[in-house]
Amino acid sequence: MRKISYILSTAFLLISSVRLVGQEHDKTRAVLLTVKTQFEAGQDIVLKFSVANDSLPVLYCSNSYGMLLIDPALKNNILEYKIPDVMANRSGLVNWKLLNADKTLSGGFYINPKEHPETMETYLGPPTIEAGGRDYTMFVVIPTDIYGNALKDSTEVIVNHQFLASEYTNRVLTHDLIAYKNLYSYKKTGRMAIGSRTFETNSKEYIIDVLPAIPTDFKIGYEQNHNYADGNQVTSFFTSIIRDRNDNVVSDGTLVTFYITSKTGHILKTSAPTINGIAIAKMVHPDHGDTWTVQAFIEGMAESDTILLDFKQIITDYKVVFSNNNRTITIGPLQSFMDQMMPDGLQVKLHIYRGNTKLDMILKESFEGFVSYRLNSNEIPGGTYKMIIETARIEKIFENIKL
Amino acid sequence: MKDINRKMIRGILLLSYIIVTGFVMYGLSSLFAYLNTGADRSTMLHTEIKKVEQFLPKIIWDAYKNIGRPMDKQTLGSIENDYLDAWYVKHCAYQTNTRTGIKDYYTKSARKNLFGIINENIESGTNIISTTLEHNPRLEFFSEDGHVIVITDEDVVEYKRVYKDKTMLLETKDKSTYKVVMLLEDGFWRIRHMVKKSHKDFKPDYNIISNKDIEIKGINYYPKASPWEVFGDKFDIDTIAKDFKLIKDIGLNSIRIFVPYESFGKANVDQKKLSKLVQVMDTAEAEGLKVVLTLFDFYGNYTVLNWTLDHRHAETIVTKLKDHKALLAWDIKNEPNLDFESRGKDLVIAWLNNMVDLVKSIDPNHPVTVGWSNIESATILKDKLDLITFHYYEDLNNLEPAYLDLKKEIPDKPIAITEFGTSSYKGLWNPFGRNEEDQAAYHKQAQDILTKNNMNWMSWTLYDFTEIPNDVTGFLPWRKKPQKYYGFINEQGEKKPSFEYIYTKE
Repeated sequence: MRKISYILSTAFLLISSVRLVGQEHDKTRAVLLTVKTQFEAGQDIVLKFSVANDSLPVLYCSNSYGMLLIDPALKNNILEYKIPDVMANRSGLVNWKLLNADKTLSGGFYINPKEHPETMETYLGPPTIEAGGRDYTMFVVIPTDIYGNALKDSTEVIVNHQFLASEYTNRVLTHDLIAYKNLYSYKKTGRMAIGSRTFETNSKEYIIDVLPAIPTDFKIGYEQNHNYADGNQVTSFFTSIIRDRNDNVVSDGTLVTFYITSKTGHILKTSAPTINGIAIAKMVHPDHGDTWTVQAFIEGMAESDTILLDFKQIITDYKVVFSNNNRTITIGPLQSFMDQMMPDGLQVKLHIYRGNTKLDMILKESFEGFVSYRLNSNEIPGGTYKMIIETARIEKIFENIKL
Repeated sequence: MKDINRKMIRGILLLSYIIVTGFVMYGLSSLFAYLNTGADRSTMLHTEIKKVEQFLPKIIWDAYKNIGRPMDKQTLGSIENDYLDAWYVKHCAYQTNTRTGIKDYYTKSARKNLFGIINENIESGTNIISTTLEHNPRLEFFSEDGHVIVITDEDVVEYKRVYKDKTMLLETKDKSTYKVVMLLEDGFWRIRHMVKKSHKDFKPDYNIISNKDIEIKGINYYPKASPWEVFGDKFDIDTIAKDFKLIKDIGLNSIRIFVPYESFGKANVDQKKLSKLVQVMDTAEAEGLKVVLTLFDFYGNYTVLNWTLDHRHAETIVTKLKDHKALLAWDIKNEPNLDFESRGKDLVIAWLNNMVDLVKSIDPNHPVTVGWSNIESATILKDKLDLITFHYYEDLNNLEPAYLDLKKEIPDKPIAITEFGTSSYKGLWNPFGRNEEDQAAYHKQAQDILTKNNMNWMSWTLYDFTEIPNDVTGFLPWRKKPQKYYGFINEQGEKKPSFEYIYTKE
């Protein structure tokens, strides 16, 4: 034990003598007098060094943004370096080196941001979210002090938001210079107002829209004056009020497409955007009896049930008169369901055959209930022909017509 | 006869008419083509990418497990681009105390800080030449709307030279950690907040490899047909293999070859040339020869802001060859002390210093050296280098004492002469030069000294060369001509008298 204490005391003596010699040797060396290493942004920061000689070394300082050199003021063998505002106002580590001729002295101090914020830098996005509680928007706040420094970590930020009749308050802490809060949507649609506060500083108000989620399946119906296949009337198709799964009416302008399949398998398409959840689309009647199968889709999202529509055939028969050496063919009168003349525009086709070869097909539309063809002798020379007339899906065949 | 003359005149007239018309047409069409260049639809909007790589510090992203939106490669790429550009414009700004480019990479409130410091520096006459050599960013936070990002850039290696009134007061290399908030503003990621969190002086961590038993008996090698352009179009591995066999048969154990900086593609190393270099190394390995690889041949820039480009060049080559069995040592640069006058001694040394750090950080196993052009310079960076090498073209009588002095000064590290020799040119441009017999006598004397002192050496060079590029010695014939006749084997492939003294068997 005695031995150990002897060794220890000898060692201590040795070390202290070495230190003494060191100090003796470093008479010219500058010594830092400023002991403070933590400052607040905006404070006057003056680094003081005591020196034995009258050299005036410059001080190199480097902070978050850059580097500069500071000239000293010498007062009573004390060198004073005033850190310029551009550096003293900026938070973060400042490291310095005293550039004197002998061994450079170096060190650092930390500038903390001010405690209280001056402004709240706020970033919010996305600006629209989907109702239902799964989607959210992110509210990012960087409370900054009067010099634009982000406040220190773990500063409390209060995030308030209001939705419909309710108001909510959340507390978050800054970390890595920022604070953030994810604000989830609610079941209803509407607008969410958001604001934040740190100490007495409030941010401005931010608004986001909570939009309906994707539509759910719906029903369709139709409306028409009559169900005659007159090729003229229009049938309207409409949807029930389309809603998302939380019962919110879908956004106006959601496009609904109605697919109409005829008896022969042909598909007609008509579409319309929703207004207040309802889409109304129209389609003209066929010119012959048919049965339509109709289903509507909001593509990729929702579909309707299927409905059936019957159209009654209205033309059961019509007259065909050949005159002028059979070169004029008059078809009509074409009469509608109450024996009134068909509205103009009913299509009539005339097929001309010689033997079994088809020579021509002439398409005409009815005018005031009649259609007439004049066969030009230059185009169709004299001979014996077979003629087929077709309208409203009724065919009439005339063999051996001599021209 | 008269008729023939007339026909000839006619023919010449006709031909000259056609030629003149041809030239006029060519002129008109190129004028037309020139006037049409602006109207080219593909160039009208100036959408073509004109990217010049000017700043390529080593950047390693930490695996991103950030808060918020998941990061994708493309966005990270554009963030990295803008973040590094922000550093680059900052370096440029402090170098010249101008504001060019700052606006594009710092938000309105952040750029005030830079402008403030620039103003202080203009007032005090301070300029700071700086660069960052390494970034290790970690993504902390990415906002859901993709407009705000927080990164922590760990241990940014910064190199700075601080000047006041054009006098350098401080050279410093340090490691700092920054927290950075960036915002996406009109397509640019701009720095909004930047806070320095920690700082320490840079201390390279590696060991000196001082293998005192190293034995170098070698020669500098260029193929006869393509000196200084080994890896170009004339590259012929068979010739090289034959030469290596010859070198081995003589009894030599090593060669010294050169990697030209520019023709190797600078920062983007030409992979074809690199694979040719690997072939050469493989051939050397097959013959049991060791290779001293000299980097940065024909390099002379040293500008601090370009260091990152030089580092990428060295990084590619060193990474590729660090495990090659034929590798003996890295020679960072051939005779850099010749650039002291034109580029500044301290700048060149700083460049070497940093390059040694880089090479040793990638390859801690092979010795690193610098091929100083004379023995007086051999003590520069002696504490940093693993192997001391210098070139000796002075009077052989002074070699021994100079070498012994150097050995006394650097007792703990192996020393090698990596170039010595003399030209056998005696003629119009060098009437008092040595002839072939004198050259033989020179090498005989050299071998005596080398063997006596058990020195490591590499002679210059195997062949006489017919063509020497102007970059090597300049175009002056009294410099160029002697350079052709340093070989042990002449242009015709015959052994010169000196060949007898290429190596002394012990």
